[in-house]
Amino acid sequence: MINLLQSRERLYWLLQISGWILFGALTVLFANVFNVQLAPGVLEGRILIFCLIGFLLTHLTRLAIKRLGLLQLPLEKAWPGILISVLVCNGLYAWFTILTLEYFNLFLTPEAYSLSFFQKWLAIFLDNGLFILSWLLLYFFFHYYYDNRQRQLDTLKLESAVRELELKTLKAHINPHFIFNSLNSIRALVDLNPERARRAITELSNLLRSSMQTEKSQLVPLRQEMDIIRDYLALESIRFENRLRVELDIAEDTLDLPVPPMMVQTLVENAIKHGISTSMDGGWVRIYSFKREGAHVLEVANSGYLNSAVITAGFGLSSTQNRLQILFGTPARLFIRQQEKDVVLCSVTIPFQ
Amino acid sequence: MSIRALLIDDERLARVELRKLLMDFPSIEVVEEAANVAEALDKIDQLKPDLIFLDIQMPGKTGFDLLAELDRSPQVIFTTAHHEYALKAFEVNALDYLMKPIDPVRLADAIQKVQQLEAARIGNGEGEVLPNGVLSENDQVFVKDGDRCWFVKLNEIRFFESVGNYARVFFGNNKPMILKSLNALEDRLDSKLFFRTNRKHIVNLRMIEKIEPYFNGGLLLELKGGDKIEVSRRQTLRFKEMMSL
Repeated sequence: MINLLQSRERLYWLLQISGWILFGALTVLFANVFNVQLAPGVLEGRILIFCLIGFLLTHLTRLAIKRLGLLQLPLEKAWPGILISVLVCNGLYAWFTILTLEYFNLFLTPEAYSLSFFQKWLAIFLDNGLFILSWLLLYFFFHYYYDNRQRQLDTLKLESAVRELELKTLKAHINPHFIFNSLNSIRALVDLNPERARRAITELSNLLRSSMQTEKSQLVPLRQEMDIIRDYLALESIRFENRLRVELDIAEDTLDLPVPPMMVQTLVENAIKHGISTSMDGGWVRIYSFKREGAHVLEVANSGYLNSAVITAGFGLSSTQNRLQILFGTPARLFIRQQEKDVVLCSVTIPFQ
Repeated sequence: MSIRALLIDDERLARVELRKLLMDFPSIEVVEEAANVAEALDKIDQLKPDLIFLDIQMPGKTGFDLLAELDRSPQVIFTTAHHEYALKAFEVNALDYLMKPIDPVRLADAIQKVQQLEAARIGNGEGEVLPNGVLSENDQVFVKDGDRCWFVKLNEIRFFESVGNYARVFFGNNKPMILKSLNALEDRLDSKLFFRTNRKHIVNLRMIEKIEPYFNGGLLLELKGGDKIEVSRRQTLRFKEMMSL
C-alpha cells in the first residue's frame, strides 16, 4: 500500500513537472512557427509566469481536492465539487497572472493596458483557462479510471475468495449430533455386545475418515461412496434398531461412476432425519442407482411426508444442489417430491461426462 | 429417601447406558422408562416421579413439548447430543443438562444439585401434594412461548392476565403466553396463594405491596414491580375476608 502510494506520488510529480515544461516548450514552438515578434525577454518572461503560476496553482488545487476528499466520492456526488474546483482554480489563475504580468510589464500589445481589469481577467480566464481545465479533467479522469480498475480488481478477488469458501462449506460434513449419539450407543454396546461395539467403532472410524477426506477429492467412484453409506446405515441401525429398515438397489454398471463424496450420504441422512426419526414407528429408506437416458440417476426414497420446511431449511439439500451445479454444470439436477401418499423421493441426475 | 426417576429417550441403548451410569448413585431409583412423549405423559401421571431424565429430540413431540403439557413439572435433567438445545432450555433455572455420551462427573454434579433441592423442599415441609392436583407455591411449571422456555416456580409469578382463551404469565422481566384459560388456571392454583381479583387477572397475594380504595367500593392493588391491578367490587368482599384471616 505504501509502495503504491509512493509510486502514485512519484507519477504525479513526473507528470506535473514534465507537463508544464511541455506546455512551455509548446508555447515557444508556436511563437517560432507563427513568427511572433516581441521585445526581447517578453516571451520568456510570459512563459515563465504562465508555467510557474500554473504549476503552483494546480498543485494547490490538488491539495485542496485531496483535503476535501472529493476523490473518495462517487462521480454523481463529486461533480459539483469538480465544477467549483475548475472555476476557482481558473479564476485564481487568471487573477494571479494578470497581477504578475502587470507587475513585470509583460503585456503583448499597448492596447492591452487600456482594458479594464475584468476584461483582462476574462480574456485569460477563457484563453489559458483551457489548459487549467484540461489539467483538472486529466487529473480526475486518471483517478476515476485508476480507482475504478482497482475496485473492479478487488471485487473480482473477493468474488473468487467467496466462491472458494462456498465450495468448502458446501462439502458435506457429518452431523455432530449423529456422531455423539453413535458414541453413546457404542458405549452402551461395550457391555451388552462387545463384538458389535468393536464393529461399530470401525464403522464410525471409516465414516469420520472419509468425511475428512472430502476436502481432498472432488469426485469418488460410487463404489467407495456406497461403502461409506453401508457403514453409516449400520450405525444408524444401532440407534434406531428395528425402527429403521433399509433396502439397496444399486446397478452393477453404476459402481464405477463418479459422484461427489458424501453426497449420497447427505441425502440418506436427510431421509433418516426427516422421514424416520420423526415417526414413532420408524420407517424405511431405499437407495437406487441406475443408468437412464445417458445419465446416472441416484434416488433416495423414504417413508414419510414432505414438509415444506425441509426443502427451505434443509441446508443439506440446497448445498448438494449447488455442489452439483459447480461440478457438473446445469444438466445435473436434484429434485425432491412427495412421490406417493407417504413416500418422499429425492432424485439426482448426473449426465455422463 | 431415594429420588424416584423416570428415563425418557427414544433410543433404547441410550436408556440402557443411562441406567447403567445411574447404578453408581444409590439415591436415584429408576422407576420406569419411556420411549416417547405420549408414553412419558402416561408414566409421569401414574408414577409421579421426582426427577425425569429427558431427551430433547424424539419422534413426534420433543422434550420441550412434553414439559409444556405437564401441569406440574418434576425436576428435569436434560440429556441431549445437541449443543444448541442446551442454550435454549436455560432461560430460567432448568435443573441441568447433560451432553451425550454423558460424562459421569457431570452426572454426579447434576444429581447432587437435585438432592440439595429435594432436601430443601422436604426441610421446608413442602412437597406434600395438595388435594385435587392443586399446585403448591414451590411447584415449578414449564412455560414455552415460541422458541423460548422457562421453568418458573409459582411463587415467582406476580400475576396472570387473560388474553382471549389464553393467559399471559408475568414473572421477572418476562410475560410469555400459555395455552390455558384463566378459569382452568384458577382451578389448579392454591387459593391461599393466588386470588382472582377480576375477570381478567389472578394475582399472587405475596406480591402485593400496597392496597388502595378504588371506585365503586373496589380496591387497587400495587404489586412488586409496579403493576397495578383492580379488585372488582364483587371480589373485594372476598378479598377482605381472606386478608383478615
